[in-house]
Amino acid sequence: MSAVDKLELRLRALRSTGRKGIAPYVTAGDGGSAVTLAVLRELADLDVPCVELGLPFSDPIADGPLLQAANDRALATGTTFEEVLEILSRFRRGGPGEMGRDLPVIVMSYANPLVRRGWANAVNALARAGADGLLVADLPIEEAGAMHAAARAAGIAPIFFVAPTTSEQRTTTAIQLSRGFVYAIGRLGVTGARTELDEPAQAFLSRVRRVAGGLPVAVGFGITSAEDVSAALRHADLAIVGSAFVEHVHQAVSQAVAPRKLDAARLATREFLQVLASGVPG
Amino acid sequence: MPTTLDTTRFGTYGGTFAPETLMAPLFELDREWKRWTNDAAFQAELADLLANFAGRPTALTHAKRLSKELGCELWLKREDLLHTGAHKLNNTLGQCLLAQRMGKRRVVAETGAGQHGVASATACALLGLECVVYMGSVDAARQRMNVLRMELLGATVRVVEHGQKTLKDAINEAMRAWVADPTETHYALGSVLGPHPFPSIVAGFQEVIGREARKEFHARTGKLPDVVVACVGGGSNAIGIFRPFLPDAAVELVGVEAGGLGVGKGQQHAARFAGGEPGVLHGCYTYLLQDDDGQIRPTHSISAGLDYPAVGPEHAMLHDEQRARYAWATDDEALRGFEVLAEREGILCALESAHAVGWVLRERAELAGKRVLVNLSGRGDKDLDTIAAARRAKDGA
Repeated sequence: MSAVDKLELRLRALRSTGRKGIAPYVTAGDGGSAVTLAVLRELADLDVPCVELGLPFSDPIADGPLLQAANDRALATGTTFEEVLEILSRFRRGGPGEMGRDLPVIVMSYANPLVRRGWANAVNALARAGADGLLVADLPIEEAGAMHAAARAAGIAPIFFVAPTTSEQRTTTAIQLSRGFVYAIGRLGVTGARTELDEPAQAFLSRVRRVAGGLPVAVGFGITSAEDVSAALRHADLAIVGSAFVEHVHQAVSQAVAPRKLDAARLATREFLQVLASGVPG
Repeated sequence: MPTTLDTTRFGTYGGTFAPETLMAPLFELDREWKRWTNDAAFQAELADLLANFAGRPTALTHAKRLSKELGCELWLKREDLLHTGAHKLNNTLGQCLLAQRMGKRRVVAETGAGQHGVASATACALLGLECVVYMGSVDAARQRMNVLRMELLGATVRVVEHGQKTLKDAINEAMRAWVADPTETHYALGSVLGPHPFPSIVAGFQEVIGREARKEFHARTGKLPDVVVACVGGGSNAIGIFRPFLPDAAVELVGVEAGGLGVGKGQQHAARFAGGEPGVLHGCYTYLLQDDDGQIRPTHSISAGLDYPAVGPEHAMLHDEQRARYAWATDDEALRGFEVLAEREGILCALESAHAVGWVLRERAELAGKRVLVNLSGRGDKDLDTIAAARRAKDGA
């Protein structure tokens, strides 16, 4: 079974049972590779539907200050593309005292680190390491030909964004080109700022939901609380939680003393997801 | 794949590598820009502002003493004489008029040396638009007079404290500000950079430099120049003077990048063609200073306006087609260019433009007997602190 099939099976199953879920975002290498692995393993044990793993980039123009800081921290610890592949394969393979996990992982990147290697090389390497999908923040459908072809050839899901300002026609195209899910940006602006999923936002999500048909819809950008999750999941299947989660884990890890950092990361992950889970309907 | 934007490239360079939230505003901008550039009333209003507010046409000066000393015929296109002291106003008057026609009430801009910020603040004051300028804290410190000028013109200057705290980081912030409020806000990008249609819009508004220079040069000498030289940060003054000469195959075009402390391995500079490779930054595919992992490398130049890791995509095309040649001048060579021009010709030029002069001084043997036209993109008042500090450091050494 290909990674796309695995991802879609899992998300469609979620839809058919009426269960909805939280899909956290993690910046790879923030706090070091071991912390990222600990967070991923905890998320797998908490049985979240999927996780977004951010490949750090020096100039993340779609992100707000919290995720920009996380990108900077990850790069400062020496997180390279190869290191992200290593994190992913160790997550899949397992290791001393840890079994491998099959939680779907969507890699989220900016274009340049992948362009640098060539789309086919980069996407194949991600697929081999165990990625299930790929989202590129500064790659609109007009520029995504090579990425889309590479992802389909490698058997991982290309995922595209739609925003409240995206035209009907481009929304349709983005949905046709996406596998796994389509990512609806809940409001204009960068990641991290407070969102209120007000009536116009709900109308947008409802429109995406209608066009998406059977394809699951994820909503992200600025979801920080159980109330936000509840509002996001009125029309969407997945609520993506990035900045608030990354910051919560970062605070816990940076306050913990050296031998306890991994435990602190796992505990912070569990706490955060438990608080947000109260916003997930039935 | 949709092909709506396939006319957006310069050869393989350029494109629209923007977050989805910027796509609708970019489509709108593309539509409106095409509409108004073909509108006679818009063009007449812009021409009037360029002539009667900005002071166009700018002079073409024959640098006679320096010509004699160098053994070539050196001419200077005097964009330093334009209102606000640099070519940047050509673009901001155009873009702010466009913003006004589009019904925007607010303009955001980035700035490195502060010249685009001052030009944006000026055009906004003139046209009654709110203006917010993002500037890295390193640049704000080295160009504090320009910060004051922007504030006096009624603009809000937001100092950017993250990343390298220079032009690159100011662009990141300006793009984020635009993403957050594209309905009310126009982003007036200051160079031939960024996602389509910015490189084409800015080049279109800067072409006036080359049109005037070509006509005037021919009127005064009966010939065209052999070589046209301009400094290249993002590259808007260079594209502005190059474009009208592109059909003249005999005219050599030379772009001079910032060689910083030297372009050797491990040295700090901003010479993208000497040390960079193609990649994606700030919305376009072009030559970038980047590491093996695709992360953007830190840059250095004594001039804030050239201190940027990417070059405009049209330059990338001209480079690969070998229609233009790209060279560099170091910090020291630029300082020397500044001093020589001041002492021999009575002109204090911007440190950016001084790179073009510094290159001419270095290559005097090659240029002997030739007609050389240098685009003097700005004046040097803003750089006096930097120059004084560099002279003190040299004296102390």
